[in-house]
Amino acid sequence: MSSKSKSSEGSNKVKALESAWKRALVANAEWPDKEEFLDVIYWMRQAMGIFLGLFWGLLPMKGFLGLLLFVLVNAAVIYFYVNNFQNIDEEEYGGIWEITKEGFMTSFAGFLVTWIIVYTGLHIADNL
Amino acid sequence: MWSDSLLIVFISICTAFLGEGLTWILVYRTEKYQKLKVEVERQSKKLEKRKEAHGDSLDKQHKKKIEREEERLKNNNRDLSLVKMKSMFAIGFAFTALLSMFNSIFDGRVVAKLPFYPISWIQGLSHRNLPGDDYTDCSFIFLYILCTMSIRQNIQKLLGFAPSRAASKQGGALFGAPPAQFK
Repeated sequence: MSSKSKSSEGSNKVKALESAWKRALVANAEWPDKEEFLDVIYWMRQAMGIFLGLFWGLLPMKGFLGLLLFVLVNAAVIYFYVNNFQNIDEEEYGGIWEITKEGFMTSFAGFLVTWIIVYTGLHIADNL
Repeated sequence: MWSDSLLIVFISICTAFLGEGLTWILVYRTEKYQKLKVEVERQSKKLEKRKEAHGDSLDKQHKKKIEREEERLKNNNRDLSLVKMKSMFAIGFAFTALLSMFNSIFDGRVVAKLPFYPISWIQGLSHRNLPGDDYTDCSFIFLYILCTMSIRQNIQKLLGFAPSRAASKQGGALFGAPPAQFK
């Protein structure tokens, strides 16, 4: 498992630095550096947190359902991305749980802040 | 109400930068910290690789080597936390003072409306110092904590001050059993 990319490690590293974000959008891309892939997952999560917060606030989504849906959508998108889009062997990263929890709390906090603020601004305007 | 919540986001962005700036002055830029950080990261990665390669083998020699490296890493990690500790205390005090100031400014003010009904053990925080029984009212402290949670960590990561995953994973072993996948 770990000896897969030994021969081309040097050249891969240079390429990796250049195009981590491009590769994030390419299906079945190669990820010689685990940290890099986890960083992509981390920032994807943050963006998703803000986006979903914005969306939930605009709708407006209310109640426990909003929280539950966020957790489900967040986990499902990452799971789908890792397993079906990038086809990553999750065991290399210490199991799917390690990937699922990568940056989760931060993205959850970001989601809550956006949701609360957009909701307050758009739908509670009469309380200003 | 909305201007209050936006102000809180702004405050937490400022305090996050201030905190990181202070930590940079007191810790990150010191030679001792940088040396230790590089060392810990290098050792963590090395150890992780070694564990991956020989984790399941029962070879005593490998096990001993791994144990010795773990011990060295632990010592370095401890030194690193000690370097951080002093300034963390100073910053902690400064921020507690700042927080209590903001707390008194926003005392009794509803800064936002929660789109959900918070569970009971959150209510103490989300409804702190607020009048009335409407638990969807949000207090300053709750929004501030949420903002800090998301903003500070992201800023740390953007500026490259967050500890690397390998280091924090190995550092975690300091406080308990090593992660299951290495057993």
